[in-house]
This record gives sequence, structure tokens and C-alpha cells, in this order.
Amino acid sequence: MNLNSEAIKKNDVEIAINNVSVVFKDNQGNDVKALDNIDFDIHKGEFISLLGPSGCGKTTLLRTIADLLEPTSGNVRVSNMTPKEIRLMQKFGIVFQNPVLFEWRTVKKNIELPLEIMGYSKKDRSDRADEMLEMVGLTKFADHYPQQLSGGMQQRVGIARAFGIRPEILLMDEPFSALDEFTKEKLHLDLLKIWEKTNKTIVFVTHNIQEAVFLSTRICVLSPHPGRLSAVVDADLPYPRTIDMRDTPHFGELVSKVRNSFEGGSL
Amino acid sequence: MMKTITKIKNSKALVTLVWVLGILVIWEIFAFIIQATKRTPENIMPHVWQIFYSFIDPKPVSNGMSCLQVVLFNAGQTLSRAGQGFMIGTLIGFALAILMKLSHIIEKIAAPYLMLIQLIPILGMAPIILAMTHDIGSSRIIIAAILTFYPVATNTLAGLNSVEKQKYELMYSYAAKKSTVYFKMLIPSCIPYFFTGLKIAAPMAITASILVDTLQGDGGLGCMLSQSLKHAMSIYVFWDIVVFSAVIGVLSCSLMGWIENAVSPLKRIERKTKKKKEAA
Repeated sequence: MNLNSEAIKKNDVEIAINNVSVVFKDNQGNDVKALDNIDFDIHKGEFISLLGPSGCGKTTLLRTIADLLEPTSGNVRVSNMTPKEIRLMQKFGIVFQNPVLFEWRTVKKNIELPLEIMGYSKKDRSDRADEMLEMVGLTKFADHYPQQLSGGMQQRVGIARAFGIRPEILLMDEPFSALDEFTKEKLHLDLLKIWEKTNKTIVFVTHNIQEAVFLSTRICVLSPHPGRLSAVVDADLPYPRTIDMRDTPHFGELVSKVRNSFEGGSL
Repeated sequence: MMKTITKIKNSKALVTLVWVLGILVIWEIFAFIIQATKRTPENIMPHVWQIFYSFIDPKPVSNGMSCLQVVLFNAGQTLSRAGQGFMIGTLIGFALAILMKLSHIIEKIAAPYLMLIQLIPILGMAPIILAMTHDIGSSRIIIAAILTFYPVATNTLAGLNSVEKQKYELMYSYAAKKSTVYFKMLIPSCIPYFFTGLKIAAPMAITASILVDTLQGDGGLGCMLSQSLKHAMSIYVFWDIVVFSAVIGVLSCSLMGWIENAVSPLKRIERKTKKKKEAA
């Protein structure tokens, strides 16, 4: 790598995670290291997966980026600012494992919620929500209430809501782990399509190796006890990705490469 | 055919019907026994048809008014005061719940003593309030308000506390202001709980108002009820008031349910999906 491309890459850093450690107290008052000295950069427009078994601190790491948790030591910088500054500028979109929809609002009104908070005009809100509904294929369900939809559709509403604010960075915490395989596969393709169209940076937490390989540009492999970064794997499958790529030898190689990079015992 | 049978089996109306018929049958069995053994059976347990006949009997029982006229004339006073007290209690209860949610200090100070107010028997509190206000009307309102505010406050607070952590985190990630969090998230979330409080409180407010009536002789359902029991007028006034207030109590509770259905589209959806599931 020559100096030039190094410089470009440095300029391109969207999220810098600098020696982040997080220590919790357990029930007995002992210190538990959830994250141990995590240090890496996420570039603009990347689709990064934080992959690992439970207890590896992948969600904790996502929360430090989202300003939902302060690191015990080290820091996170987003576009050269603190996560708090970025949050106050309303540049984060978050999708949780549960859709977290407001039951008393229709699907469309749920998508409009963050836009209302950000002070968009009624017409702008409505137009944007319609656009998002079309993107996730739920136009027909605009006036339904969340409990009338299936789990997969609800999660799509959550994704539409997150993309609706045109966030700089999308943070997704195991968004598909509660869904069945068929729905998941469809949403994978939907998400990739939206990502390619919008060119946002996505940080995606998952415990599913295939999912991480299929979606990401790079995979951060985290190992538990203490939560630490074991490897960063380039998932160099070409885009746009298609379902049959999962059957290629290269996909299998990437999966085993990721699997072998875990530390601390078999999975 | 099978479908209609299961539909009838599952319907709420049938359950209600069985209950009503069961109670009527048991009532009548005892009414016949009492008729055969006591000298004034109507004072203890008249037949159901006798009670219903007294509603339509035009014979005057007091001041030239029939039974039904006595009940309706006095119900106006009692129920309007109960209604005013209920509304005041609802406002105070809701405001208190919001205040307790806003400030942990207020919650810590208020919560244990609210319980205490609730523990004082209403029969003990009513004369004190009456002595303080010298007015039976305002006493009715105050007592109804005191009984109303507690279930409204506790249920609303439970609703405010029921919002899951991730909703807060979502609002936090939008950098939402505190007032936005209240108006867009907390208050809409607590509405179903708030209505549960209202459904509990509405019959209580009516009962309280009737109880306060019994303290003075200035009219009201409770006053007529005690006069009738003292044989100052036909005993059927007593029975009619018992039936009437039971019906009003149930109706007041249903009224809250209707209002809830009218103001919250969510409720309608829930019923629709439930019906669909039952039909399937």
C-alpha cells in the first residue's frame, strides 16, 4: 500500500474506534470486561458486520457508537466528532432486534415519527414516508397498525423508519435474528438494495456467520471473555449480491475463514 | 351448523345470559321460600316481577310521585355530582401520575400517602368532609373525586412505567426533547391504562355519591334509599334504587369503554382482529 491510498483511506474514515474498553460490574460487584481495547476504523459507505457469539460485546460496541453507552476508556469518533454530537445532529438511524414500533400509530405514521421530531413539514413527512414505504414494499399497508402485520413486515417498517431520516450512519442490532429463514433471505436482499442505492455506512451486529458474509464488505470477528477483536475479514464477494452466491466455493471459504478466526475455544 | 354452535358457545353474550338467568332463578327460589315463611316478604326479598312492576306502577308513593319518578328525580342530583367529582378526580389523578413520572421525589413523597387516603373508610371520611363544607352537594363531589383519583393515578402511572427501554433509546437516538418524549411516546402509551383506571373509578364515584346522600335528608338516591328502608315511603323505592344504581354502575363502566373505543383507533383494530380470529 502506498502513501497516497493510505491518505485517502484516512480521509474516508467515518467511525474511528480508538482503544475502546468497557467494564461492567456484575452482581457480586466484580469487574467484568465486556470490551477489551477495541481499535479499528470504519470507512464511509462500508457495510460492516460485528460478528460473534453472545457475550463477545458486539452489541456493547454498537451502543458506544450510538452514544447509548460511554466507554470506560478509549473513545469513539464519528466524522471527527463525538457520538453525542452526531446523535444531537440526528444523523444516526437505529434498528433493534425488535421492531420497536408505536402501536397506536399506523405504519405510515410510525415512519413519520422521527421526521415529526426533526420538524419536517407535514407534506415533506408524508412524501418521505410514501417513498420509504415503496422502498420496503409496504405501500399497501400504509394505514395498517403494526399488530396487523407479520414480524417480517414489522421489521421492514422499522428499517423504513430508520432510512427515512436519511441517516449518515445506520446502526443495526441483530435486526433479523427473530425472523424465519425465508423472510430473512428476502430482507437481506432488500437491505442490500437499499444500501447500494443510498450509499450509507451500515454497522450490523449479528451472531450468524452466513448472514455476515453475505451482507458485509468487512466482518469484525469478536471473541468473548473478554470481548476482543480477533480478526477483520474482507468479504470480497462482488456486488450486487445474489442468493446463489451462497452456494459458491468462495462463499464457503469465507465462512470457514471467519469461523477459524474466533478465539477461545470452538463454537 | 357446527360453526354457528361454536360461535354461540364462544360468545360473551351467552355467558352473560347464563349468569343473569342463574341469578334470577336463585333469587326466585329464595323469594318463594321467604314468601311462604315471613310476614312482610317484600321487605326481605320481593319477587323479581314485583320489583319490575313497581317501576311502571303509576301509584304515587311520596309527594304525589310514583316510584320511578322518585328514583329519576333524585338520581339527577346524585349522578350529576358524582359525574363532576369523577371528572375532577380524573384530572387530578392524571396530573398526579404525570408529576410522579416527571419527578422521583414527588413519587417517593406521594405514593405511600395516596395509599393511606385510600385506606380511610369512605363512611368515616364523608361526615368530616360534610362538617367542613356544610354542603351535601360539594361533599358528594369531593368524596367522588377522592375515590376517583386514586385508581386513575395508579393505573396511569403503571401505564407510563410500562414503556419498554428500547422505545426510550429510539427517542434518545432522535435527540428528542423531554416534552416530545412525553407527548409522542409516554402519554399515548398510558391511554389504555388510564381507561382501565376510569372503568374502575366510574362505579366507585357513583357509589360514593349515593353513600354521601344518606348523611342528610336533602334528597338524592341515598337519602331516598334510607327513608324507604325506614318505611317513610314504599319499600319498593329501595328495591328500585338498588336495581337502578346497579344498572347505572355497569353502564358507567361501559360508557368508559365506549369512549375509549371512540378515541383510540387501536382498540377498534384489536377488536377487528379478534373477531377475525374467532371467525376463522
